[in-house]
Amino acid sequence: MSRPEWSRRTLLKSAVANSLLFPGLLSELLGADDPVPRSVGPANPLAPREPHFAPRAKAVIFLFMSGGVSHVDSFDPKPRLFADHGKQVVFDHPETRNRPGYEKIFLKRPDWKFAPRGQSGIEVSDLFPHIAAQADDLAVIRSLHTSHSNHYNATLGMHTGSFAFARPSIGSWLSYGLGTENQNLPSFLVLAPQMPYAGTQVWASDFLPAAHQGTRVMPGAEPVANLKRRVPTERRQELELAALKSLNLAHQQTRPEDPQLAARIRSFETAQGMQDEMPRALDFSQETEATLGLYGLQPGQTDGFGWQCLAARRLVERGVRFVELIHTGSSANWDSHGNMADHGRLAPQVDQPIAGLLRDLKQRGLFDDVLVVWTSEFGRTPFNNTADAPGREHHNWAFSSWLAGAGVKRGFVHGSTDEHGIRPAEKPMHVHDFHASILHLMGIDHERLTYRHGGRDFRLTDVHGVVAPELFS
Amino acid sequence: MSRSLGFVAGLLWLLGALPVSAADKSDFFEQRIRPLLVERCEGCHSTRKGKTQGGLALDSRQGWTTGGDSGPAIIPGKPEQSRLIQAIGYADDALQMPPESAGGKLSDAEIALLTEWVAQGAFDPREAKPLRGGLTEQQLRDWWSFQPVRDVVVPDSAPAAPAEHPIDRLLHRELLAAGLLPAPAASRRELIRRISHDLTGLPPTADEVRAFENDDSPQAYARLIDRLLGSARYGERWGRHWLDVVRYADTAGENTDHPIPDAWRYRNWVIDAFNRDLPYDQFVRDQIAGDLIHADAPPDQYAAGVVATGFLALARRFDHDSDKWMHLTIEDTIDTVGKAFLGLSVACARCHDHKYDPISARDYYALYGIFSSTRYAFPGCEAKQQPRDLVPLLPPAEWARTIEPFDRALATLDGSLKEVDAALAEQSKNFSKAVGDQVRKLATGQIADGGAQRLSEGTDPLLEVAVTPGQLLLLTIDPDGNYGADTTVIDWELVEQGGANRRWNLARDVTTDLLQGNPHADGQQHPGVWLFLDARGGLGLLPDRVANLNGQPALSAWRKGDNPSVFVNASPDPVKVWTTLPGRSVFVHPAQDGPVAIGWVSPIAGTVKIEGRVADGHPGGPNGVGWKLEHLTGDLTAVLTEMSTLAARRSEFATQRTALLAKAPLKETAYAVVEGTAANARVHLRGDPEKPGDEVPRRWLELFGGEVLPEQAGSGRRQLANWLSDARNPLVARVIVNRVWLQHFGTGLVPTPNDFGTRGQVPTHPELLDWLARQLVESGWSIKSLHRLILQSAAYQRSSRQPDRALLDAALARDPNNMLYWRFNRLRLDAEGLRDSLLMASGQLDLSPGQALPIPPAPGWSYTQHVPFAGVPESNQRTIYQIVLRNRRPPFMALFDGADPNATTPLRQVTTVPTQSLYFLNDPFFHAQAEALARRVLEAPTDELRVRRLYELALQRDATAAEVTAALGFAVEYTAALAAEPEAERPRAVWSALARIVLASNEFLYVD
Repeated sequence: MSRPEWSRRTLLKSAVANSLLFPGLLSELLGADDPVPRSVGPANPLAPREPHFAPRAKAVIFLFMSGGVSHVDSFDPKPRLFADHGKQVVFDHPETRNRPGYEKIFLKRPDWKFAPRGQSGIEVSDLFPHIAAQADDLAVIRSLHTSHSNHYNATLGMHTGSFAFARPSIGSWLSYGLGTENQNLPSFLVLAPQMPYAGTQVWASDFLPAAHQGTRVMPGAEPVANLKRRVPTERRQELELAALKSLNLAHQQTRPEDPQLAARIRSFETAQGMQDEMPRALDFSQETEATLGLYGLQPGQTDGFGWQCLAARRLVERGVRFVELIHTGSSANWDSHGNMADHGRLAPQVDQPIAGLLRDLKQRGLFDDVLVVWTSEFGRTPFNNTADAPGREHHNWAFSSWLAGAGVKRGFVHGSTDEHGIRPAEKPMHVHDFHASILHLMGIDHERLTYRHGGRDFRLTDVHGVVAPELFS
Repeated sequence: MSRSLGFVAGLLWLLGALPVSAADKSDFFEQRIRPLLVERCEGCHSTRKGKTQGGLALDSRQGWTTGGDSGPAIIPGKPEQSRLIQAIGYADDALQMPPESAGGKLSDAEIALLTEWVAQGAFDPREAKPLRGGLTEQQLRDWWSFQPVRDVVVPDSAPAAPAEHPIDRLLHRELLAAGLLPAPAASRRELIRRISHDLTGLPPTADEVRAFENDDSPQAYARLIDRLLGSARYGERWGRHWLDVVRYADTAGENTDHPIPDAWRYRNWVIDAFNRDLPYDQFVRDQIAGDLIHADAPPDQYAAGVVATGFLALARRFDHDSDKWMHLTIEDTIDTVGKAFLGLSVACARCHDHKYDPISARDYYALYGIFSSTRYAFPGCEAKQQPRDLVPLLPPAEWARTIEPFDRALATLDGSLKEVDAALAEQSKNFSKAVGDQVRKLATGQIADGGAQRLSEGTDPLLEVAVTPGQLLLLTIDPDGNYGADTTVIDWELVEQGGANRRWNLARDVTTDLLQGNPHADGQQHPGVWLFLDARGGLGLLPDRVANLNGQPALSAWRKGDNPSVFVNASPDPVKVWTTLPGRSVFVHPAQDGPVAIGWVSPIAGTVKIEGRVADGHPGGPNGVGWKLEHLTGDLTAVLTEMSTLAARRSEFATQRTALLAKAPLKETAYAVVEGTAANARVHLRGDPEKPGDEVPRRWLELFGGEVLPEQAGSGRRQLANWLSDARNPLVARVIVNRVWLQHFGTGLVPTPNDFGTRGQVPTHPELLDWLARQLVESGWSIKSLHRLILQSAAYQRSSRQPDRALLDAALARDPNNMLYWRFNRLRLDAEGLRDSLLMASGQLDLSPGQALPIPPAPGWSYTQHVPFAGVPESNQRTIYQIVLRNRRPPFMALFDGADPNATTPLRQVTTVPTQSLYFLNDPFFHAQAEALARRVLEAPTDELRVRRLYELALQRDATAAEVTAALGFAVEYTAALAAEPEAERPRAVWSALARIVLASNEFLYVD
């Protein structure tokens, strides 16, 4: 057998000298012919990279409502559902099939009234009065559907495109595809006070290099693990870092050709930068009361969804590629089986903060750079086993989400469901299509963003996904 | 149709495109049809491009003749009957091609061309190449890894770089050909540090380093190798490499990540297998069919064989009810088997023939049948909390002998219980008869979700009643729609009016000793005052006595099945279970199909005032419950006496049964597999188990001959075990040799250790790989011999540095990635190595082998996707013994590139990111180890000796004079920054800081 010839592959390898010790990075460079890294710095998988084509958005804020928000009570107006309340219907539905007590099912009227909003006249319910007031900024998608009616699987699917297997999260894919602008902050941050369904798999990089995994940020004294200086004074840490550096430089002197050692020496400086930058990003003391007020925040407040939203704005301002905000977690969430009144308890926690975020992004001109995505893992059944059952079950056949900001039409409705909100009627959009469209707005062709793993090229959208250009401005 | 065809012909005639002769037919196809197919159809329907949607390929005649999932696409000469023509006509709403997403409907002219082509007989010269999976026969013959392992002639030693060892002679040939020279040998210190980390995952001690440095014997290195290979630490290091490959975890990975309390046995079996140098072929066989191979072996050996099949059982589970997703678990099994043992991605063929390797979908389902004929242990899941099918460690006959006396005693007791239950059921009828219509309603009520109601707030309350002995006051609780949340708190007190003014308080009387009996005495020496009743239909005493409800010692219950039940929290404090149960309280839970009741049998004649309260104990349910209070005015003494007698007997039997169960022979189990029902599988069309295709006989991969199972083979695991460990198989030995080489050198001879197929990379040194493979087989598959062979090579003992600048520059220019092994690769400690080394430096490492993890006992499990299993606390034992969770990976393992517990990890990535440096700056565990190290260092009497001790403990070497000076200088400067600290605290602060610096250094983290 002849030796493998000197090819681009080999050249790349020499560019990343000794990089067989960086198999992740190497296969990343080799696996993807494009997007080509702008600068092939050794050992920096987070360097900014060129997208496939001109992007409409540079960063994403992904608002995830855990548990399943009822579409027919929020963004999908169904007058017939009010009118046909109590009418018996028959569906072979995954949540009622063979379930004792669910032999008969009946349509159930929404608990919130709808009204046309703003210039666009998009109908939004009273559940979200503040977001409704921003209706002219939204591209509402009413025809989403997903492949599973279980929280775990649907949550995994909404984040990774896979409904069973652990796969990289959408934030990891974008980090891998585009790198990030601010090397003092991680590329993918997840503001999650509680653990979501499917646990850390929601933000895991899985087979993508670990640098692309989501970093969890929690409100409180230490938002990112190990971010807070543990030695009591800055002076002491400086002394320690200086001593460490001289020790490492002495060690490096007889090993000058090893980029790993140099990269690690540098990474302590970056860590120090991160230690400074992250608290600054999360320090709201310079925000005006008017701004805090937009998010419904009190001065000094460091929790709540308003805190998450303002933190998200400050992070995308600083060049973070993907910021996810999870509202609650795997319990005490939007999963209102018992009583839809619980939606009424939860909505005020997010309504004003989200509307405030949209207004704040607009007033700062960030609406041209930042894509805001609002979604849940699925919707809720427009029916239940008694007409007067106060709750709703999981519904994966149809649900609503919206996009706003960079590259997205404003005051626009995409797709529709049938008269009762059971199934998509026009322009059905699967989660894969949703992902493909988000990637497209970021300048990424979802079919070309691949990673070789286990002998196969993987994609966020698997073998599916159709971009919906109608959504784009 | 015919009219439109006429139109088509007319259109074509106008276009001048009608073919006439055979040559014309060929031209017509080449000029008009082929480009159209390529441009508009083959994007989704091409074998060559690896996309055959709906199973249909249009890039060859065979493609459309066979057609896709719905049969042939074209019937030559019959456009009307050809599905392709129907599809492009958009006549059928369900079948419109090309779809919108692929450019939408063809133009009228294009439709006309294709229609005419079919009408004329669909001339198509394109022949499909016969494929094995994704390869032609020629490609198959050419691909290196499918060829038998060759005899290798080891070249002579070259004068430019003399070498004794065959590995070196094989490596040097390539090295010299590239004009390079090997780096000098590593120093003794470098070598012992390297080999200690390599073979045991731990650094040597400073004493061991000194001893090796001072040992001039030519046998010193060989003795060192033998000592390390003989250490129990060796299996903990190399076992972990194997656990990476087999995606080991202590949880199942389905929605609730159920724990697997027995998984550790497989983990320890792997460690032990490496330590005792179990021949690799046997190692492979045992993991596939250890239970069958050792069926007649002595009990210990049989048990080890069973445990070994944990490899199969540990396949990932899926979804809410994981029994329903076993096809994915089997896919995970096949994926891991293929990659781990053969370096082939067999599971790619689940939905279609492999695109790149010679594996067909039929191959996949041939293996699938073997695993679907195997019964996997079931870990439990959200829908079915309890594990089942765990495999006893005793052989079946042995176990039968052991369990027989116990089973017999249990059967006798169960018989007695059954009799007494029948008698109780009879009494329950008598009870209803005795009550008859002598029932007086005292109050009724209904509480909403989260609500509470006093009895006096019920409808028409009548709460002062005259009673005579044997009469019954009965408080009944009805379930509501969502009965699951019907836990209800009962406060109940009866106060005698006049007389002795006695009081009966339910909680006071029963919470401390609920299980004393049912009926239960009051606190005043009256037996049988309180009754806990199943009120479905008639009234019967709740028969089952349950202590430690939900694993909580404070909770006990009387119940029938799970519900109805009456239970108490005996603790003064609230207990958090499915809901928070307030302290010292009594609760009831009705059944789904009917109520539960508590009765008070009057021991007196007089008047009592009834007080009490019914409260929802599980708010958010979403509903409440109904209740009613009644006075049964008949004299129930006789029937109650009879029932009490029976109940006491039942209670006695139940107590005996509990005692017997407590003494049951301990059935140690493994999370393993046994034979299931042997049957061939059917192909799942497009991987969908709902779409069964042809049955495929269970057999070996066609690539390796496709041998079928003999008659009466059972599942076929025994045969599979032999096929996978056959020395004649071209992949088995090569794959494991490459894994061993990879762990020693940091790179594989084949850089893609899980992929020896055509998508993988070719070997850098094919002859060396084959030579090693042959050596392994000839040594009797001894992995330890393979280690010795490799470790004795000069290549392993080379320095990672080339001090000669000119030679270094030349080598870096020619071979920057060291593919030719001109030096040794500097390696970073992996996650386990880092944590274990920190614990070793701090003196905190607990070297006792890990056994079972402190996972709560299965009977109390109620994991959900909302509240999944969350793990157990860490210990100071080696990292391999810490729990591995599939769904909630510990941040440390994710941060330092730990193995993926969800899929086979052939090699660890090595990333360098700032969040790792944050760990070394601020992590509490890291700081704790540094402080413990500082305490050890402070034992030395002087600062200079402390510096020396620090370097010895952390870096296993003497500090240089310059380092001592620098450290002492640092100590002075750092002390100055400690003005705010009490003086007594300062030494600890200074030496902890120095310990952090050394532990965070590159020298600590990288091994030369």
